[in-house]
Amino acid sequence: MVADFLPNLISILILVSVVLAIVGAVRRVKLWRQGQPSTIHWAGLLAIPRRYLVDLHHVVSSDKYISNTHVATAGGFVLTIISVVLIYLLGISGSILNYALLTSSALMFVGAVFVLLRRRNPPANLSRGPWSRLPFSLLIFSSSFFVLTLPATGKLPADTGGWMLAIMLLVGIAWGVGEMFLGMTWGGPMKHAFAGALHLGLHRRQERFGGGRSTGLKSLNLQKDKLGVEKADDFKWNQLLSFDACVECGRCEKACPAFAAGQPLNPKKLIQDMVVGMAGGSDANFAGSPYPGVDVGTQPASTYKGGEIIPIIDVLVPAKTVWSCTTCRACVQECPMMIEHVDAIVDMRRFETLEKGQTPGKGAEVLENLKTTDNPNGYAPESRMNWAADQNLAVFGEHVQQADVLLWIGDAAFDMRNQRTLRAMVSLLRAANIDFAVLGDKECDSGDSARRLGDEATFQRLAKTNITTMQQYQFKHIVTADPHAFHCLKNEYQDFGGHYDVYHHTGFFADLVKTEKIKLDNKKELSLTYHDPCYLGRYNGEYDAPRYLLEAMGIQIKEMERSKTKARCCGGGGGAPVTDIPGTQRIPDMRMDDAKSTSAEIIAVGCPQCSLMLEGVVEPRPDVKDIAELMLDALSVQDSPLEISLVETHP
Amino acid sequence: MAQFDALFKPLAINQLTIRNRVVSTAHAEVYATEGGMTTERYVKYYEEKAKGGVGLCICGGSSVVSIDSPQGWWKSVNLSTDRIIPHFQNLADAVHKHGGKIMIQITHMGRRSRWDGGNWSTLVSPSGIREPVHRATCKTIEIEEMQRIIADFAKAAGRAKAGGLDGVELSAVHQHLIDQFWSPRVNRRTDEWGGSFENRMRFGLEVLKAVRAEVGRDFAVGMRITGDEFHADGLNHDDMKEIAAYYNKTGLVDFFGVVGSGCDTHNTLANVIPNMSYPPEPFLHLAAGIKEVVDVPVIHAQNIKDPNQAQRILEAGYVDFVGMTRAHIADPHLIAKIKLNQVDQIKQCVGANYCIDRQYQGLDVLCIQNAATSRESTMPHIIEKTTGVIRKVVIIGGGPAGMEAARVSAERGHKVTLIEKNAELGGQITIAAKAPQRDQIAGITRWFALELARLGVDIQLNTAADEASIRALNADVVILATGARPFIDQNPHWGADEGLVVSSWDILNGDVAPGKNVLVYDTICEFSGLSVADFLAHNGSQVEVVTDDIKPGAAVGGTTFPTYYRSLYEREVIMTSDLLLEKVYREDDKLVAVLENEYTAQQEERVVDQIVVENGTRPDELLYFQLKQDSRNKGQIDIETLYDAKPQPLLDEPSDGYLLYRIGDCVAQRNTHAAIYDALRLCKDF
Repeated sequence: MVADFLPNLISILILVSVVLAIVGAVRRVKLWRQGQPSTIHWAGLLAIPRRYLVDLHHVVSSDKYISNTHVATAGGFVLTIISVVLIYLLGISGSILNYALLTSSALMFVGAVFVLLRRRNPPANLSRGPWSRLPFSLLIFSSSFFVLTLPATGKLPADTGGWMLAIMLLVGIAWGVGEMFLGMTWGGPMKHAFAGALHLGLHRRQERFGGGRSTGLKSLNLQKDKLGVEKADDFKWNQLLSFDACVECGRCEKACPAFAAGQPLNPKKLIQDMVVGMAGGSDANFAGSPYPGVDVGTQPASTYKGGEIIPIIDVLVPAKTVWSCTTCRACVQECPMMIEHVDAIVDMRRFETLEKGQTPGKGAEVLENLKTTDNPNGYAPESRMNWAADQNLAVFGEHVQQADVLLWIGDAAFDMRNQRTLRAMVSLLRAANIDFAVLGDKECDSGDSARRLGDEATFQRLAKTNITTMQQYQFKHIVTADPHAFHCLKNEYQDFGGHYDVYHHTGFFADLVKTEKIKLDNKKELSLTYHDPCYLGRYNGEYDAPRYLLEAMGIQIKEMERSKTKARCCGGGGGAPVTDIPGTQRIPDMRMDDAKSTSAEIIAVGCPQCSLMLEGVVEPRPDVKDIAELMLDALSVQDSPLEISLVETHP
Repeated sequence: MAQFDALFKPLAINQLTIRNRVVSTAHAEVYATEGGMTTERYVKYYEEKAKGGVGLCICGGSSVVSIDSPQGWWKSVNLSTDRIIPHFQNLADAVHKHGGKIMIQITHMGRRSRWDGGNWSTLVSPSGIREPVHRATCKTIEIEEMQRIIADFAKAAGRAKAGGLDGVELSAVHQHLIDQFWSPRVNRRTDEWGGSFENRMRFGLEVLKAVRAEVGRDFAVGMRITGDEFHADGLNHDDMKEIAAYYNKTGLVDFFGVVGSGCDTHNTLANVIPNMSYPPEPFLHLAAGIKEVVDVPVIHAQNIKDPNQAQRILEAGYVDFVGMTRAHIADPHLIAKIKLNQVDQIKQCVGANYCIDRQYQGLDVLCIQNAATSRESTMPHIIEKTTGVIRKVVIIGGGPAGMEAARVSAERGHKVTLIEKNAELGGQITIAAKAPQRDQIAGITRWFALELARLGVDIQLNTAADEASIRALNADVVILATGARPFIDQNPHWGADEGLVVSSWDILNGDVAPGKNVLVYDTICEFSGLSVADFLAHNGSQVEVVTDDIKPGAAVGGTTFPTYYRSLYEREVIMTSDLLLEKVYREDDKLVAVLENEYTAQQEERVVDQIVVENGTRPDELLYFQLKQDSRNKGQIDIETLYDAKPQPLLDEPSDGYLLYRIGDCVAQRNTHAAIYDALRLCKDF
């Protein structure tokens, strides 16, 4: 009796769940379709398994515990589902299938146990609420099917347990199927599996998969009626989809320098707020860490219940949240679901800046300066080359029309600290007999800060101006010491017709050292750590060239715990120093503490912005030196400018 | 606006781009040359400034173009021969290598020289009128001589150009021959070279035209002029504006250097290189006035010592370039330190005028507080860290010798303890700074205090070291820089032991209140005696300064005694020379000073309330003799290696015990520079 009745009931239960799940999925897809059109990469859907197993797993595997747990749980779940569908919906039977179901549910159970263990005393970055329920649901789901299948495999008599067990199993399966099937499309924690899989397939940056890189911001059509994102439906549809993929694991939160500094930004909460913006409800239900200093449920949005589409900024998300971001990309790097937080933040900043004119702090002044002087600090444009008055540089259009290398100066031209780096670069290029020239006063700011402060119009103007200028001259490569300019020139000017072979100076110099055009003395006595600039490392994947150069000087780098992909931002990116959103501590102070904990006496950098941020930390602290400065010190037989060779002593 | 952006804005002089707005203006370097040819010492002196980032150096103050303008007195550069050309090439290369530019000042000094040496030339001047500062008599110049000198100017400029220098500055300042023609005070001619404005301008114009014809349009040629001679019968500011405008209109001049004040009297000379009694940039208004009437850049020096001050002047547009000449003598790395954001590490000129006052005595230009300047071949401006053993260095006494020893030892990387019995560093500098108009000398101490703090020197103030406490420190090196005490008991009849006389230190330190009617007896005739007299006069005392020397303040340099005299005469201080203080005795509540004329032995008496004796110092030797016997080197500094700028013997021989050295006034009374030089050359190799 029981043995006959139960499978039928389960079949019906599963059928109903599947139907309801499909209804939920249709509703969910409609939510995403509120978004703006964006290319649909159908082929990506076929690549989902590979993307899951390779790309996503690559990120997850940085935490072995959870990657193994997830493989067991998710793998077990997928196999269980397949078996269940085959057995209970399609009526296929057979002992192989039964054993498969038994094994898969057991596998899932084991995985779920580890999920539960992890959740016993969960770290702050993990969300509670439904996510704390999930391990129990997983256990119930897997154990129910396991027990249900035991009689079919003959391990237990068919009528074992009688009605009592049958009802328990039924309840268990109902619970489990509800969480796993309905939850997937109706907004439970399992939503991540459904949306996540689709997101992997339909990702807005298809280039990211298979080891590729896509870090340049997407350009904005300035002819549109509305610029940037005001409401959730202003995002692209696949951005909305991506928000639903979030598993609230909080890796982004752990990596976010602004969050750590007590600034009101938590990337995880931000993504969940985007979901609220899209699907309605209230952020009051958010069960993770709030934006530091902003209690959950206190935004005006909590009064807008019922799925209304609402303006995001200052209703759902405080403006200061999006302005706290340094665009360091640590969250994106860490996100196992490959969500693009920085894109979302810049989209919202675009609306704030271009439509509302509400760039906070000194941001508005910087943008104004860029408009009137082509440099962020408003220096007289004709003073750009003052630093080089004694350098006799070849200037394109004045002295030469072509050169092997265009040396991109950047805004370091206006800053006495970073002029030292420039002078060191000039000396090094000369030592290697490189044929190089500069644009002189014709060079404009790369537009990096304008773009990341949301002023796409100014960015595009600067980009187009620079491209037009460069079109007039012949050169093979661009070399710059500024990773922000490097990133713009290399990755973001392409949309406007600027295609260049761009080197960060460390990459260029590394080649010169490898080919022995530059010979460096041994400086093994230096006690030194290296700080990876975000726009060189995470944005452009260059971790090796700077280290190669330091090692070529015989230096043993005392690596910081947070280095390479996990390097902590200096706090200087994305216009954060000018929007200057207060926190409880300063990001550069934290980064300097990272450096101090290596007991290094020098922190080597490869970015003018990092130099400024880190040198702004009060002494005592390690000296901040650009790699070019260190190289010049190690350059055999040369007369280095005194201001570089002068030793800064901080006893 | 960046903090120093006006300073770092390049500006062209003719075809020459100067990388910033800071100039080392022309001054006689004195040590510079051998027979008028620049030496390695000269080249290194300018190379150091270029390395330090200065924009433009105008070298060779008063470098002569003709053989009848004597150069030997100040050892200025001799441009009257082609032999100079290769020397210039070395100089130009050394400066250009570091991105700097270098020009030279060329001149014929006319009557402003001495005839009693060298070629025993007859000096020439437009009207043969004697020059008082150099006591120089001269002849009235003839037209043939003018033509020869005009041609000499051209040839000299050609040699500067051939040697690779970037330009020449014609000196028409300080009463040289060109401005001797300008000034009706000394030009009484009635021919076409005197009288009317045009006539007085003629000689300078002919020189300019000849120089321009020789060097061409693109070579930088400037002119240094005064902004106002400050003589009733001389050229005033309006005259100088007219003159500047006149030469500007010729289009032959690429820049003007402007100096406030004439200088053919002792009193006006003091204005030219304003000492520490002057306010900042006292004559800027004169240079700004000239800038109003000319189209080319204007350079102005005179008491511009601080980067913020320079920025303020340039930002306001008073002039185009600031001369920071003494500032660079004190710290040739001034610009580099601004760029390194190390402004608080700049050794700032205090206006002691040790440099210029030595120059006027024909001695090499040295800096009171920087012993490396002009000694670049042997003394380092940047002390390298030692690669050898780290020593424990204990220094007793925080005066200039002790502070420099501590600084240099700490820069070398040693563990340094500096023990000072007073509540503050500075030693006798602290006392000297108490006098009116002399407070800025304390800047020497301020810089040391900042540096010693930066270098982490263990400074123990209010701590009197004794033999036992020094031994207990187990130092590898003990340096005694304990200084001295006033020597007022040299003559027992002065009654110092009975308290009849007090020392200048007692007065300046405030230990003894100024009396109503005071006699200052000064055997030393340097700063201390005039300082204490000035201090007393400022505090309402009636003062007479008596010396047995030829005049009070006889040993005070030419740019400083005038500022003392201005103050002392204004306060009716009586200055009496040639009298020895024989004896002091008390009569009722008064003191009687018995004075004897050096030359007649005639005695006279003064009845006063207070007698201050300035008789120099006696070294404080107690600790030295307590520690000498047990020291490894018996307290001896090996002078052969010291003078040779080599490390002291025994330094590298491992041994227990301590090396003992004493430096500064605790050896014998000398001066601040001597103390600092000894400390530097002794400690640089520790």
